[in-house]
This record gives sequence, structure tokens and C-alpha cells, in this order.
Amino acid sequence: MSEAKFSGLEPLNTIGNATARVDAVERVTGEAKYSRDIKLPGMLYGQVLRSPHPHARIRSIDITEASRLPGVRAIITSDNAQIVWGAGSISGGRQYNDPTKDATLHRRYIFNNPVRFVGDSVAAVAAVDRNTAEAALALIEVDYEELPFVLEPEAALADGAPAIWPEGNLCPDFRNNFEPMVSDIGDVEAGFAEADRVFEERYETGFIHNAQMEPRCALAYWQADKLTLYTPSQGISNCRHDTARDLGLEDHQVRIVCNYMGGGFGNKNQNQDADLVAATLSRVAAAPVMLEYSRRDDWLGVHGRWPTVQYYKIGAMNDGTVTAMQMRGYSGMGPYRKNSGGISGMDVYACPNRLRTIYPVYTNRTTSGNFRAPSEPHGFWGIESMMDDVAYKLGVDPVEFALKNMRRPTDDRPFTNYSLDEVITTGAEQFDWASRRRVTPGSDEGPLKRGSGFSFMMFRAGVGTSSAIVRVDSAQNYTLFVGVTDIGPGAKTTMGMIAAEELGVPLSQVEVVSGDTDRCPYSVGESGSRTTIQTGYAVVQAAKDLKQQIAAQGMPSGSEVLIASATPVPNTDGKTRQCFGAHFVEVEVDTRIGTTRILKYTTVHESGRIINPTTARDQIRGATIQGIGQALHEDLLYDPASGQPLTTGYYRARHLTHLDIPDIEVTFIEVDDGYGPFGAKTAGEAGIILAPAAVANAIANAIGKRMTSLPISRDKILGVLA
Amino acid sequence: MGDTKKPDKDGGTSTPSPLNPKQQSRRDFLEGAGATAVVTTAVPVLGISAANAQQADNAASAPTTSIRLTVNGVSHSVDVEDRWTLVELLRDQLDLTGTKIGCDRSECGACTVLMNGKPVYSCSQLAVWADGAEITTVEGLAQNGQLSTLQQAFVDNNGPQCGFCTPGQLMTATALLNNSQSPNSDEVRSALVGNLCRCSNYNAIVEAVVSAGEKQGGVA
Amino acid sequence: MKTLSNINASSISDAVAAAQQALGNGQSIAFSGGGTDLLQQIKDGTDRSDVIINLRNVTDASQITSNGSGTAIGGLITLTDLSGSDVSAVLAEAAASVGTPQIRNVATLSGNVTQRPWCWYYRNGFNCYKAGGNECFSVVGENQQHAIFGGGPSFIVHPSDVAPALVALNASFVVSGPAGERSLSAQEFFVLPSQNPQQENVLAPGELLSGVNIPSAPSNTVSTYHKIMDREAWTHAEVSVAAVLTLAGNRVEAASIVLGGVATIPWKLDAVESFLVGKELTEAVVREAGALAVADAQPLTKNGHKVPMTSAAVERTLMSLASV
Repeated sequence: MSEAKFSGLEPLNTIGNATARVDAVERVTGEAKYSRDIKLPGMLYGQVLRSPHPHARIRSIDITEASRLPGVRAIITSDNAQIVWGAGSISGGRQYNDPTKDATLHRRYIFNNPVRFVGDSVAAVAAVDRNTAEAALALIEVDYEELPFVLEPEAALADGAPAIWPEGNLCPDFRNNFEPMVSDIGDVEAGFAEADRVFEERYETGFIHNAQMEPRCALAYWQADKLTLYTPSQGISNCRHDTARDLGLEDHQVRIVCNYMGGGFGNKNQNQDADLVAATLSRVAAAPVMLEYSRRDDWLGVHGRWPTVQYYKIGAMNDGTVTAMQMRGYSGMGPYRKNSGGISGMDVYACPNRLRTIYPVYTNRTTSGNFRAPSEPHGFWGIESMMDDVAYKLGVDPVEFALKNMRRPTDDRPFTNYSLDEVITTGAEQFDWASRRRVTPGSDEGPLKRGSGFSFMMFRAGVGTSSAIVRVDSAQNYTLFVGVTDIGPGAKTTMGMIAAEELGVPLSQVEVVSGDTDRCPYSVGESGSRTTIQTGYAVVQAAKDLKQQIAAQGMPSGSEVLIASATPVPNTDGKTRQCFGAHFVEVEVDTRIGTTRILKYTTVHESGRIINPTTARDQIRGATIQGIGQALHEDLLYDPASGQPLTTGYYRARHLTHLDIPDIEVTFIEVDDGYGPFGAKTAGEAGIILAPAAVANAIANAIGKRMTSLPISRDKILGVLA
Repeated sequence: MGDTKKPDKDGGTSTPSPLNPKQQSRRDFLEGAGATAVVTTAVPVLGISAANAQQADNAASAPTTSIRLTVNGVSHSVDVEDRWTLVELLRDQLDLTGTKIGCDRSECGACTVLMNGKPVYSCSQLAVWADGAEITTVEGLAQNGQLSTLQQAFVDNNGPQCGFCTPGQLMTATALLNNSQSPNSDEVRSALVGNLCRCSNYNAIVEAVVSAGEKQGGVA
Repeated sequence: MKTLSNINASSISDAVAAAQQALGNGQSIAFSGGGTDLLQQIKDGTDRSDVIINLRNVTDASQITSNGSGTAIGGLITLTDLSGSDVSAVLAEAAASVGTPQIRNVATLSGNVTQRPWCWYYRNGFNCYKAGGNECFSVVGENQQHAIFGGGPSFIVHPSDVAPALVALNASFVVSGPAGERSLSAQEFFVLPSQNPQQENVLAPGELLSGVNIPSAPSNTVSTYHKIMDREAWTHAEVSVAAVLTLAGNRVEAASIVLGGVATIPWKLDAVESFLVGKELTEAVVREAGALAVADAQPLTKNGHKVPMTSAAVERTLMSLASV
């Protein structure tokens, strides 16, 4: 068995000990009810009709025939259901909230006209069974006027490109200015002037669907004016608030329930249009409605990671010191700006002259949105491929290059703690970097060439707010109420372990109640690497409060209970808080047929104190594998002539199977920096950030050519070697 | 939080809203708008076409067949529509929702069940084809409230992350352990290759199956 | 799913009769062996059959029987059973390389040989030749996975693994239909797009591939199936090579080499076969064989990588059969 290694801290009573998930039994027996497993009496089935065109104006929708089909109970279209979906398009791509809802210029509705991508929703039907609903869709007659379309961000910004929105195709910022996102530090022109050498290159990355195993669905029903939604959500508090806002209701009129969900990796956080469509169908039909997405519905109708183009210019001295860094980037957002379009990675370097300009651009492809470390893997791949290239051209070992140029704490920008040196050197030693990397890339004889690459990072581990409630009864049974749903990392268990530790009781004495906005307080949502830090900290504070009450009043007796809650707003005293990581990869490339095999994969992470070693290990391994998939396989190809997507689904996108998976060595260096719950940081997104860069750098080391386009598929490798 | 009753920016409260039944009856709602329009079929319309529509499916005319099958040891006699898939029969009619639909296209393995002891994708088998068959689903693995050795190994080794692929992985692995003694990790990977895990918890799943194989010892 | 009806056939002739009846009623039919691919196509709307004729219960067409002149294999043998058989290594390996255990447990030889192309235009509902239209969208579009041999006007690659193995074994293809049974050579069975771009084989509606006959091979025959995929499993071939060699020591007495994944039909390398006869399998010889294999390749705009891949695959397959 591949054990993870831990060093630096000793386990506590509960925290730090390998712990089975508290709901693992339900998951292995089939008892766990996911959203689509739920049946309510009188439940109808819903289906969505989607645009077959990448860009078209709807002249008319005729639902007469469809309405007459026996068993059809409701049909909604843009003619009769103008429901805004605030989280579906946001000026500036920031977190959806009331100010952004009011400010957003380019509104997205549950049904849009014009339709702006193949798969854009046009209508929805509720019927007595699934087949009737599907048949009804086929009877809806839509008259489309096709419009010109554009698929690539640079083409979308060129003169004469079809305008997807009236102002053109550059997404507006949160102030509704049509400006790129700019970060301008120091003076890059001076930096380039000072440099011995200047390097330039263009990189591009593909669209990566979140591809979670559970397709989208939503079960809605109304009792008087209260809406209940059983929906797979990684942020029930967010979903409730978004849904209430979109439907013109108060928060307390919306209940979101999700006890089990099948992954999401960022596409199940806010509400989704499926929730609103189901709610509307249910209202019209006066019955519960289970809206089901097919896998293709999910692929086109939800979202994946934005494709990018990145132009880098780096200035450096001959000794490897970087004097200037410049990036001009383009993010293909689809026709709605659901999230930021960020391209991150440059800020892990200390270079005082850094200019980054990112254009988030509308295109007529499926929507882009958050996928596990939304701004990172593609950005880190771009900059760390570039820097790896610069290092080799200067004759410097990439590890030395990183240690020389990486950002470190300074007096005016201190960190809560800093482990990047140790993380990198530990990894290099464990991996045997000195022996495995080819000092001269591509130098192996014969068609099978080996090489090694590395990547490093620091990533946000900042603190923030959430809520927790904890209760104790006279039998000394504790109940913890937290608004998590456990998207896969084991949040219920992690929260339970934190409570148990703080309360000084075994985990078996703590019941975790989660997944229901009627019962659970606010949680930030399992996204952005925040739940352990933010909700976990709230758990600690609530437990402390409860202990104080117990100390003051004694344990409850009879029917009494003691209840404590906390909604702390912590800070890190002005210090930057980061987690740290480094990945080292050895590959073998078969240069005759373009196959890449991973021979060795070493990861080292400092993610603060690890709450549950087992689930933390599997977060690193799982995220890393997703990153390998991005590096080597996954993309969504469109036919340029028709704007039709060609490679939706697991087969077409070549998702990794059991036989594609390398062993992944995991080492955690543990540190308690005095912040967060017991010093915990985050491990959920860390692995995916590093994998594409490390794998790509290994390939470059093996074949002696830089791959500038993800995924690094065999046709591209054979292309550069031809 | 703001005033959630503020009129929407471009709709205003005058837009009839299907959310308020008092404003618009369902009948009004369904009486739609517009003259008959022509469907353009010049582009691919996956799964939905005027040709399909002509068949005007509804339950009254869909062919049905009576079948008998055993599921987890329990015998069922049931009338199924010929077009129902096995997974629909299991989930919708027999209330065995442990088997999941991940793709409905034989591309992911989440729907794996055992048919006469062999793993198959239940999304791609018509229910009628299971007439006379013995089906085992994840609900049939535990006996008398006791988890199987394999299920326990999944619990102990963090086999499920989100858990959605887990029933399918368990079924394929159960068949493997029924037929092999202590398979090694390569053998496990080959046997389970038809079960994807997007959480990518592959390493833990393999560790769990290997561990179960070692504990189980001889062929079951 | 659309309305359809299922008929369980008890024998091949029963299946053929049921098909004729349905066709006579103006219905469209599909034969179903394993059913995995058929159901996908029905759900996606690229197959619009009204009647499915289920062959799962047919017991007289899944056996392997040897006779004096060779081996007869029933078309309804599952790929799992075929992969465990000892008729020929190339056939067992080809069957084992298809899909996943779940698919192989139900999929049949016949279904695999006659499956429709997996071209992403066809399968996404484009009205191309394969859907009864008169255009091939890959030519000016995304053709990374399309044919470098035998293309025009359609450029799909033949999707079967079992078919190249059968062609390499010089199998004859037994077609059952309303007029009875007939036996066809590979050349007669498979259809180039230049002959008819809408079909990959000669089967008319109501006919099915009910079996194959494989002639006996000399005892010093070796064979193998080499498949290159874009992930380690569960994918159609990017390039595959089915090779059957009769060797005296390391010298080739007879050669039969067929490519998959690169041509519109299983692609027999006649020139390579002629070149190899009488030669020792040395590195120089296999290298020349690999070059010869692609001498008349006609790549499109984006599938040029298949050319060096094919050469490499042919070389490596031959070397793997060489006597050490």
C-alpha cells in the first residue's frame, strides 16, 4: 500500500490520525441517497431543450403540439419564463452576491434569446415520465435565425468578429468597464532593458470539463410559498441565497437539501440554472419535478475550465536572475462570464517587475467556469514551462532557478510561515532529481526517451468566515451543525474530527448534521480550498464557546441541551498565509508513436496541520491525476465550420482509466502556524495546480522540445519531432 | 442583502411570472404564443428530430413485455416497456437506487451490475434482455447487515471520495474476487478498467480491492 | 428513448424471418448482440430502428467448431469468450483489446465487425455519408482520427479490432439473410467508400454476419494483434496491426498483415506481405517493411501523425514475432 509520509508534527487525540469517513458505510451499501435517487409522490420528470446552433436568434417557439402530448404537465420557454440566473453571468466574474447581481450588465436567464452556444437552454418540459418528457421536447418547434459565430478568444477580439454582446466580445469588469484585468508591478521595461537576454513564447491550453461522475439534476417542490430543492450542491448556503434572489423570494422561503453528491470540482457551488428550471416547472405544474441532465446536457449546459492563450516575455541575467516578467493572456469564457478567467502563477516569483494583462473574452463555445483551482493549473503550466525553458537556455538547473527566483517573505510582506525551500529540496532529494533529470534535454539515445521535470507553488490558505453550531445533551452526545455537503474530500468527517478534538471527546461521540439549509448554518461552500480553514475554524470557536458554557453551568441534565454557535471573522494579522508544494515527475516518451508514460511521480506538500491523513493523501493523489489528464488528454474540440462540439463525454475526452494511473508518492511536511483550526491549511486544490507543469517539463526534458499546447497529445509530440 | 423584491433590471414586475399562479393560470401558460413554425434540420440535432417526433411516443402505445428476473436473490415479475433500460428498471421501478447513471452511454461504468455473475453496463442493456437473469446490485452485497469483506475494505481504505462511482467499482471488484484469489494491483486495475473515477481515487480503490483479496483468501 | 419493440430470436433463421416481417411492415430493424453500441446510437438518435431483434438467446451461433479445413466461429460468440479461445493469438488478442470487461461480456464478434464508424461527425448527428447524406465533414474539418488509406469520399476509419484479425487470418464471412446463407471473402464483404460511402460492408437490411470460417494454418504460424490507443484501454485503435506469419526459423514463408485504425476498411498490406516472403526478420527488413506499409498513405490536413505511427507499429509487430 502506498502510504503517505508525514513529518513535522505529532498527531493529536483525534486530529492527525487516519480516520475512516463517517458516512463511508452508506456510500458502499447504496444507502446513500444522491439527489437523483430521491422520489416524491406525484413526481414529474423534466427535460431541457437545447440550441443546436452556436449563435442564433429565436424568432418563435411553438409549443402547441408538445402541449397536447398526453402526460405533459408543463412547458416553459423564454416566452413565458424570464427568470434571471444571476450566478450564470457576472460582471467581473466575481463571487455572485447582491451587489454583483445589481451591477451585472450581460444578464443570463434560464432561457436566452439569442442563444449563444450549442447547448444553450431554450425550453423545458415536465411530464409524467422521462420518455414522455423527451418526446415532448421533440415536438417543440423553434424557428431559429442563425447568426455568425466565433470560437476562439483572439479571433473574437479581432476587428469584424461577430459581436456576442452589443459592446463586443471583451468581458466587462466588475465596474462594467470593458478593460482587461491588469496587474502592473514595478517597471517591466526597465527590467527588460537591464536583462542580458529576453525570451518570448506563446502557450495555449484547452477546455477541461469538470466531468464529475454525477450529472446535474434538480428536484423541486413547493409547499405554499416555500421552495425545497434537492440538488447536488457544494455550497448549499450559496445555492439558497442565489435561488431566493433569482426567484424574488426571501432566503427562508428556499430550502436546499444535499446529503450526498457525486463530485463537482467547482461546478456545483452557486445555484445552477437547473435549480431554477426545476423550480419553475414545479410551480407551473403544481407538482414536484425532477429535472434530469444527460451527460451531454451536463457537458454543454454546465461548465469547465476556461481555455487560454498566454504570451510570455521574460528578461533574465546570465546567472539566472529574472529581471522582468510579462504576460498577455486570453481566456475563452463562452458567451457568459460565470467566473474570473484568471491565469495565475507569475506571483510565485519574486521578480520586482511584473506586468500581467488578461483579456476574458466571450466566445460561442460552452460556458467556462470554476474547476478545482480555477485560475491555476493552466497558468502555472504556462509560466513554469516558460521558466523551465529559460533555465535550460541559460544552462541553469530548474530547481536552482526556482530557488533563486521564487518569492520569499519580506519585512513588509511577511508570511505566517514559509516552507517552500524545504518542500522543494525534500522533493528533489526523494525523487533523486540530480540523477533523473537530463542535463541536456532530449539526450537519451533511441526512440524511448526519459526525462524529468518539476514544478512548485504557493497557493492561498487565507482565513475567512463561516458558521457552526454545536449542541450537547444530557447523555453527553454532541451534535455539530455545519452547512457542508461533502463533495468528496470528507468534509463531514473533517469537521467532526475538529469538533471532537476541541471538545476533548472521541469522534464517535460527535454526530455531524449537514446538507440542509433549514438545519445548518452558513458555510462558505466546499470550494476554493476554504472549508477546512473557514468552517473548521468556526467549529473550533463554537466548541470553545460550548466548553465555556459547560464550565460555567455544568453538563445539561434531563431534557436540557446546551447550544453554542460561532461565526468568527478571523484574520492573519496582516501576514500572507499560503500552502506550499512541489511535484517531481519522470516520464518516458515513445518518440515514434508519441505516447507519454509516467514512470515516477513524487509530491511534497506543506498544507499546515493535516486533519485526516487518509483523506488528505487522496486529495493530493486525486487532484494530481486530474492534472495529468489535463496535461495529456482532455480538451473539447469544436468543428470550426459549424461551431458544433465534437468531443463531449468521457470516451471522446479520453479520461484516465485505472490502467493509466501511476503510483503517486505523497509527503506532507506539517507545520502549525497558529492560524486556522489547529493550524490546518488546505489540500483540496494543491495537487492539480502542479501536475500539468511538472508533466510537461518532464516531457520537454525527455524529448528536448518545448510543448506549447495542452493537452500534449501524441499528434502534437509527433508534430514537433517530425 | 438588499431588497429582493426590487424589479428585475430589464423585466420589471409586469412580466407575467409562472412562479405566481395567481397572475397566470397554467392553461394560460400552456397556450403559448406564436404561429406554427418550421423546424430547421440543417444541423445535427442530437437525439431530437422531427423524424422521432412523428412517432409521438406515449406510454399507451409503447410496446411492453412481461419478464421475470431475480435481483439480489429476490424474484420479480414485472411488465416493462421494451425501451426501458435495465438501470431504469432497477432504479425507477424496483427502487434500487444504489446503481448510478453516470453517462448512460457505456462510457463510465457507474451503472455496473452483475448479470449472471458477470459485470455489465446496465445502462446499455434493455430490461427485456434481462428476462430470466440473476442480477446483483450493490444493495445485494451486504448479507444480514454485515458488509462484505470488500465493502469493509473500501470503508477502511477510503475507497469512496464522492462515492458516485463506488457501487460500480464494488460490483466489478466483487466479480473479480469471486473468480480470483488475492489479485495483485495490476490484475485489479485490468479487471476494473471499465470503471472510471473522476475524483481519481484510483490508487485507494485498488488498495482496497487488493486488501480485500488478501483478507478473503480463497475463491468465494 | 424513442419507442421501440424488442423481439427475442431463438435462432439465426428465426432472427432473419423476424427481420423480414418487420421490414415488410415498413419498420426499420437492428440486430442486437451485446447491445451496448446499438443502445448508444438509439439514445443519440443516430440509429432510428423501430424493432430490435435480440440475439442474446440464440444458442446455435456462438460456438467454435473445428473441422478438417479450418475453424468455424459463430458470430454471436462474446468477445470475452473469443479472447479466451485458442483459435489464433491474433484473434484472441484483438478481442481482448476491445473496450472493457463489461463490454466484452456481452459484445459479440458479429457486432464488433459490423459496428458503425466512430467518427465524431457521424456520431454527433451530422448528416454525412454514413447517416445517409452526401458529404464528409472531416475533409476540411477535424480529421486527426481519420483515414490515411482508402479514403474518399468518406474518410472514416473502420472501427473494428476483430475485423483486421479475421482478415489477416484469411477468414470468410458468413452472411445470413432471407435468401439463405452465403460466404464472402474479406474483399467481398467490406466496402470502400469509393464503392459506396454510406456503408462499411455489404449487409443489406435484414442480413447479418452469422459466422466466420478461418482456414487452417500451418503449424509454424505465429500471430499477434498490436493496438495503439490514446489511453491505456477503452478506446478504438489509433493504429493497429494484425499480423499472421508462417516462419521457418526466422525466415518468412507467408505473411498476412492487416491494419486497423488507419483505413476505411481493414487494410491488407499486400506489398509488405510480398516483400517479406523469403526474408529473415531482421531490424533492417522490418524497417523497410514499415516504410513500405505507408508508401501510398494519403494523410489529410491533421492526421499525418498516423503515418510514422503506422510504420513504427508494423516494425514493432513484426519484431515481436521474430524468432529470438
